[in-house]
Amino acid sequence: MNKRAMRRGLTTFWWLTVVFLYLPLAVVMLFSFNASNSAARMTGFSLRWYHQLLGNEQIMSAFANTLILAVISSVIALAIGCMIGYGMYRHRHRKLGWLIILIYLPIVLPDIVFGISEMAFFVQFHRLTGFLQPGLTTMIIAHVTFQIPFVALIVYSRFVGLDPTLFEAAKDLYASPVKRVVHFMLPTIKPALISAFFLSFTLSVDDFVISFFTSGPESATLPIYIWGAIKKGISPEINAIATLMIGAVALAAVFSLMFNRRRA
Amino acid sequence: MSNSHTTAMQSGQTLGRSQAMVREARHLLFTVTPGAAWIILFLVLPSVYLMAVAFMTNGPYGLPQMPLSLESFKQLAGFGFLGWSPGNIYTLLRSLWQTFLATALVVIVAYPIAYYISTCREKWRPLMLLAVVVPSWTNQVIRAFGWMNLLAPGTPLSSFAETLGLISPNMGLYPSNFAVTLGLAYNFLPFMVLPLYAAFEKLDTAQVEAAQDLYATPFKAFWHAVFPQTLPGLLAGVVLVAIPAFGMYVVPELLGGGKGMMLGNLVATQFSGGSNWPLGAAGAILMLIATFIGLFAMRRIGKRLGGGEEVVI
Repeated sequence: MNKRAMRRGLTTFWWLTVVFLYLPLAVVMLFSFNASNSAARMTGFSLRWYHQLLGNEQIMSAFANTLILAVISSVIALAIGCMIGYGMYRHRHRKLGWLIILIYLPIVLPDIVFGISEMAFFVQFHRLTGFLQPGLTTMIIAHVTFQIPFVALIVYSRFVGLDPTLFEAAKDLYASPVKRVVHFMLPTIKPALISAFFLSFTLSVDDFVISFFTSGPESATLPIYIWGAIKKGISPEINAIATLMIGAVALAAVFSLMFNRRRA
Repeated sequence: MSNSHTTAMQSGQTLGRSQAMVREARHLLFTVTPGAAWIILFLVLPSVYLMAVAFMTNGPYGLPQMPLSLESFKQLAGFGFLGWSPGNIYTLLRSLWQTFLATALVVIVAYPIAYYISTCREKWRPLMLLAVVVPSWTNQVIRAFGWMNLLAPGTPLSSFAETLGLISPNMGLYPSNFAVTLGLAYNFLPFMVLPLYAAFEKLDTAQVEAAQDLYATPFKAFWHAVFPQTLPGLLAGVVLVAIPAFGMYVVPELLGGGKGMMLGNLVATQFSGGSNWPLGAAGAILMLIATFIGLFAMRRIGKRLGGGEEVVI
């Protein structure tokens, strides 16, 4: 086999793989503009499915839930994860093996095991105490749990990338620890914080399995709504919501990457 | 007098040092406690509870009850009221088989792709990797839905398969086990490309040139000079693909239909529809065992690879 033929073969294979990767998304986006409700044939361009979204109360409430869940959980995870990230940095010379295991646990646990553990726990907790009925609150708790590790790791790696003498300088400049946090720590890790926030946001919006098992009857998010709609029988509206979600998540992920790049 | 002065100073110093140590310990406690407590309370505790559930008896409404028993594991192996039935064993075997097929498919696609990216111009490489990763940012329900649209009866792909005689008329490529394999491979392709790319990027080409100088056939050069160098990346990819594929819930549920159930679906059903928590928990334990075997393998590979932690994200 000569080299140029092999090269050409590889290039072709690369583009075929790109098509394979984007075809399912492209189909969803294309059919969201379909004039008819056929899922197999494109009959013309229209925005009717997008108009229908606006009139659908269930979708609007699912949209609101998704947003509330993503924002609140990301903010909580940012606060907690930021502290743990700094703690890991400051005490990196200690033996923190147990902490590392704890932090990696939410990442490595299979989604489904994560989801049903939380569900079983919340259901029983509610039966025993009357608190934490499955709904938005339990979903927020579950989302924060899988967001904390990512925030912690991003913040930690930002601190590791800093010149350690900066901390000494800050100590000389600002006597009070609170001032040090406000005037030195937070401004220096700001890009990492923004990046972590968008990543948490993306993770939250992207999650289906864990949300599905911790949600209550009133707290359906967009992925849960889409799941239900698919199970009931395909409605072309799904294409429109899915297209909007693909756009939103891509945007958030790009923001996350942009701010993560800056530290370099 | 001077003697007592020095002791006072010494004790003052040790006091200062121990104070500093206490302050550091308090600092550690203050920064780490909220997060650690959160994960322990809302993940470790629930998983421990779930494991305990697996050893309880199934009560009314599917909720777990005392006494402790191994009933759920027997049920998982197929022993029920009506004697032994192969349903669950089939589901387990199907999970293993689908995981194997999907992983193999991913390797076949990812290996040349990772190699190709590593040979392209340096400025294009990050963009190409990004192109591979971007689709996985979309919700997996939406991705599976995209495949449903592509593989449903009457679509170009299904018609094409029909003319080739691969499927019977009007059946469509979905729902089927094939659709599940495809969906799994689609989901986890980036997990294989990234570690393989990392391996290819570090490839020592001098070995390949040496092999060529010694008149090795291209295949021999590949097998002795290239493949061993990419093996750690390949194994890491296999773990990253196979473990989540084994526990996958969404893809088999949407693309597989009734006959495509995998372990994840078996577990989930026990907590929503079928309602037999202990049985579901027993299935979850199986998944956990698979995960820990994978992690253990990953650590051994990681040692050989020299720290490949970035691979995780």
